[in-house]
Amino acid sequence: MAEAASLQARDVSLKPGRAAIAETIRAGEIVGLAGLDGHGQETFLKAMAGLETPASGKIMLGVEGNGRPITSLAKAASTGIAYLPRDRRSTGIFPTQSILDNFAISTVGRDMRFGLISKAERRKRYETYREKLSIVAPHPNAPITALSGGNQQKVLLARALALEPKFLLLNDPTRGVDVATRHVLYDVFRGLAADGMALVILSSEIEEILVLCHRVLVFREHEVAARFSGEGMTTDAVIAGMFGRAA
Amino acid sequence: MNPVIRSLGEFVRGAGFALVLLVVLLAVNLMLNPARFHPAAWGTLIGLAAPLIGAAVASAPVILAGRGGIDISVGPLMGFVNAIVIQALFLQAGISSPLVLVPAALLIGAVVGAANGFMATVLRIQPIVATLGTYLILAGVTLTILPAPVGPAPAWLKAMAGPYSILPLGAIFLLWWLVRRTPYYDQLMAVGSDDRAAYTAGVPVTKVRFIAYVMTGVLAGIAGLMLTALIGSADPNIGPTYTLIAIAAVSLGGVSLAGGKGGLVGAAIGAIAIFLLQSLLTAFNVSTYVLQVAYGAILVAAVVLTALQDRHALRGVSR
Repeated sequence: MAEAASLQARDVSLKPGRAAIAETIRAGEIVGLAGLDGHGQETFLKAMAGLETPASGKIMLGVEGNGRPITSLAKAASTGIAYLPRDRRSTGIFPTQSILDNFAISTVGRDMRFGLISKAERRKRYETYREKLSIVAPHPNAPITALSGGNQQKVLLARALALEPKFLLLNDPTRGVDVATRHVLYDVFRGLAADGMALVILSSEIEEILVLCHRVLVFREHEVAARFSGEGMTTDAVIAGMFGRAA
Repeated sequence: MNPVIRSLGEFVRGAGFALVLLVVLLAVNLMLNPARFHPAAWGTLIGLAAPLIGAAVASAPVILAGRGGIDISVGPLMGFVNAIVIQALFLQAGISSPLVLVPAALLIGAVVGAANGFMATVLRIQPIVATLGTYLILAGVTLTILPAPVGPAPAWLKAMAGPYSILPLGAIFLLWWLVRRTPYYDQLMAVGSDDRAAYTAGVPVTKVRFIAYVMTGVLAGIAGLMLTALIGSADPNIGPTYTLIAIAAVSLGGVSLAGGKGGLVGAAIGAIAIFLLQSLLTAFNVSTYVLQVAYGAILVAAVVLTALQDRHALRGVSR
């Protein structure tokens, strides 16, 4: 059997002169990105999504030693990488549009019947994700702004999942989301990973990374300052890494 | 709830004030001037309103695309199409076939729209400045090739302002109905709603906006033909007068100048409301100066009422 494709960072420098990062994200794992705000973890995540070009190095997708470079968001999306943006108010939702339109925007071409879009087809697609993510929403034609923050975030997650990605990149997915919804999302993330999806989660909360991720990369000054996994992944170790102290 | 009734309800809320105004004005017009609004006269009546409806509908796509998208060259483009079709093609080259004149008008519209789109989306010049340039160029070129009004227009074209006046409008709305069922429409509304979010969601923002300008140009080409049909001649001075009144009609019809809200049907309703107001005041023999004041007052009232309605709706949500 062919080896499953992985997402690889090859000698990626986030800023000129910083130590290069070599990293491989494999199917079925949940990788956390931690660090104080603005220490490069977001640039790293966006580079993997094709949204930013790193100072040097390449993002590749494929089997080890043989892959396609990811240089743009369109290329990332077409090769199975989905990205969930951080600030849902300014770069996520379309406030004037309906829930259904917000859900479908990344996959608008998929509901075609005889060359025209079928709303019924789109509704059907939305309903499967609404159930999977237990989105609490009125009619799908209601404006997205009628939903709570947590449910808006679920619609955005449904938008990303509708791409049926193999790699899901999440930029602080539970920011401003209530506790109950958080746990629903955690279960969803674990389920996706169990089904073979690779997830990269940037989180500003260490607790979240500890309960969710298999391993964590701690960023400091645009370099990976520490890597932890399994037993070594503790709050103290991660915090020490974030502040550049040896644990 | 029945989906038809629901979408009808959403539509009424969207076009809101303009629709109410339209119904009231229609009723008053019918009472005061039954002969003019007799079914036998509908062809001519629609032909009279058609250029304004066309100009409003043409202005809508770029406005829907958001981030200050606007095309003020719609009016002069209509005048330019009018001049080329009559002066250059019909009178000088002797071509009268609709199979040449219609595609020529659409092509001129598409080319000018593409030029506007290139300036506004690729060079990223502010749309109002870019299309102001086009406005001045087109108005000047039109006056150069056509210093004074000339006529006539081909007979088939004149019929488009009479018994067949519904045809070009029908064609526009059929086209828009089809566009609404393509992925492009969803992308257009998303870009208009929030272009940064659209970019992160994988929408090709620049391409979508560029196509909106081309669409505006093509629709302005059709509006130019409808104008030609109505005046039955070529006149270099009429086209530019449509620009501002079309934008007034668009915002009256519930299309947000911020983008991502409204549609072509709303724009048409706004235009019809303005046309009915025009016809009512003309029936009272009111001077055209007062007409301008009335346009302005109605527009300000509509914009204020829409803003109040939106704020109310928003408050309902956050509670």
